[in-house]
Amino acid sequence: MAQEQLAFFIDLDTCVGCKACQIACKDKNDLDLDQLYKRVVEYVGGDWKKDGDAWVSNVYAYHVPVQCMHCEDAPCVDACPTGASTKRDEDGVVVIDQDACIGCRYCEWACPYGARAYDADEGKMGKCDFCEDYLANGEDPACVAACPLRAIDYGPLEELEAAHGDLKAVAPLPDADISHPSVVFKPHPDARRAADDPGAIANLEEL
Amino acid sequence: MDLHTWALILFTLLGQMAVGAFLVLGVVHTVALRRHESALVDRLTDRSLLAIGPVLVLAFIASLFHLGSPTIAFRAVTNVETSWLAREIVTGVAFLVLGGAFALLQWRKIGSFAARRTLAVVAAIVGVAFVLSMAAIYMLPTQPAWNTAATPIAFLATALLLGTLAVGVAFIASYAYLRRHDDERVEALTGLLQRSLRWLGVGAVALVAVQLVTVPLHVAALSAAGGAAADSAAQMLQGGGLVLGLRLVLAVAGAAIVGALVLRSFREPLPVRTMSAVVPAAFGVVLISELLGRYLFYAANVPIVI
Repeated sequence: MAQEQLAFFIDLDTCVGCKACQIACKDKNDLDLDQLYKRVVEYVGGDWKKDGDAWVSNVYAYHVPVQCMHCEDAPCVDACPTGASTKRDEDGVVVIDQDACIGCRYCEWACPYGARAYDADEGKMGKCDFCEDYLANGEDPACVAACPLRAIDYGPLEELEAAHGDLKAVAPLPDADISHPSVVFKPHPDARRAADDPGAIANLEEL
Repeated sequence: MDLHTWALILFTLLGQMAVGAFLVLGVVHTVALRRHESALVDRLTDRSLLAIGPVLVLAFIASLFHLGSPTIAFRAVTNVETSWLAREIVTGVAFLVLGGAFALLQWRKIGSFAARRTLAVVAAIVGVAFVLSMAAIYMLPTQPAWNTAATPIAFLATALLLGTLAVGVAFIASYAYLRRHDDERVEALTGLLQRSLRWLGVGAVALVAVQLVTVPLHVAALSAAGGAAADSAAQMLQGGGLVLGLRLVLAVAGAAIVGALVLRSFREPLPVRTMSAVVPAAFGVVLISELLGRYLFYAANVPIVI
C-alpha cells in the first residue's frame, strides 16, 4: 500500500465529452494513431416510452473519460512477468519500466479498464503514468490542465473520497471490486437510469 | 489473427504436447516393464524420449514471436512472486532441464534405475506444474471465457491427447528405424508395439470423449452466463459454429480410426503396415483439430474490458 495513493476525480455531470483530455494526453505522450492512454467513452441508452397517449423521451447519454486507474490491487502489476510494471511507494502511481518490458501484453489482458496501449513499433507497453514528469515539476497532469470544464481533478485518494464520496464504477465500467481503482466519480444524473435501462457504448470504433 | 497470437497457439500446443508425451511415455514404460525386460522396452521408448526435447525447444522459440521485445525475453522469469506468466516460463525451463537430464542419463544408462526414475517423476511433476501455470495465466476476472475450470481441463486434455498420439507415432518411427537396421530384437519388439498402440489407442479415444463432453458444456455455460461470456460463446458459434464443429468432427474422426484399430487388435495381431498408416493419420487429424480448438480459444475470447 502506497503511503498516499494518488487518484483522479472525474465529474461526469460536468463532462460534455469534448475529448480535450484525450487529445492533450495523446499530444503529451506523443502517441501513434492507434494508441490512446486516455479514452472518452460515450454511453448511450433509453428509448421513447409510451405514457398514456403521449410518447416521452427516456433517451440518455453521458461520457466517461477512462485512463489507468492506478488501482490499489493492480492486476497488471501482479501479471507482469518481468516486474516492469510497478506501483510506486510514494504515491501508488503504476508505472512501466520501458527497459524491462518485453512486450508480452499480459498486463493488457489483466487490466479491467483497457487502459494499456501497446506500442507495436517499439514492442513495448504504454499507459497513463499520471504525467509523473509534470507532477515532479509541480504541474498538473496534461488531461487535468486541458479540461475546459474543469471536470477532472486529482489528489490523494482519501481527500477526494472525503470531498466527493466513493463512487468508483459507473456503467459501462467493470466492478470496482476487481482491482479497487484509485478514482472517484461524480455520477451523471442519467447514470441512475443506466441501472434499470442499460445502454451501450456508442463510440466503440473510436476506442 | 496476427503473428503474435499464432506464436501463442504454437507455444501452448507444442509445450503441452511435450509434457503429455513425457507423462504418457512414463506410464507406457512402467507398465511395459511388468511384462518385458528393460533392455527391450528401452529400445522402443528411449528414441521417443529424445524427441520430446526438440519439440519443447521449438515451443519456446515460437513463444519468442509473441513478444514485442524478444531480445530481453529472459527477463520473463523475474516476477515469479506474483506472475503466472513468469511461473510458466520458470516451470517450462525447469521441465526442459530436468527432462533433458533424465533423457540423457536414460539414453546413456548412467546412474541407477531408481535414481533415474526419481528424476523422471520430478520432471513429470514440474511438467504438470508448467501446464497448470499456462492455464492459470488465462484465468483472469477480465476474461470470463477463459476464467473457468474449462481452461485447465482443456489444456490437460490437449497435453495427454497430443502426447498419447505423438508417442504412438514415435514408437512407429523407432520400430521402423530398428527394423531397417536389422536389430536382432525386432521380432520381440513387434508384440510390444502392438500392445502399446492398443492401449495408447484406448487412451486417445477416452480423451476425445472427455473433449466431446467438456467443450459443449463450456460453450453452454458461457451462453447462459450472459455479458462478455455469452459474447464469447456467440463468437465460438459464429458462422454456424463451423470451426468448432470441424474441430470436434476431426477429433471424432481421429478417435474413430484409432478405435477401429483397437477393436481389430483384440481379434488379430495388428499388421505393422496398418499401424504405420493409422496412427500417424490419427495424429495428423487430431493435431489439426487441436490447432482449430486453440485458434478459437484466442479468437473467440471476448474480454469485459472496454
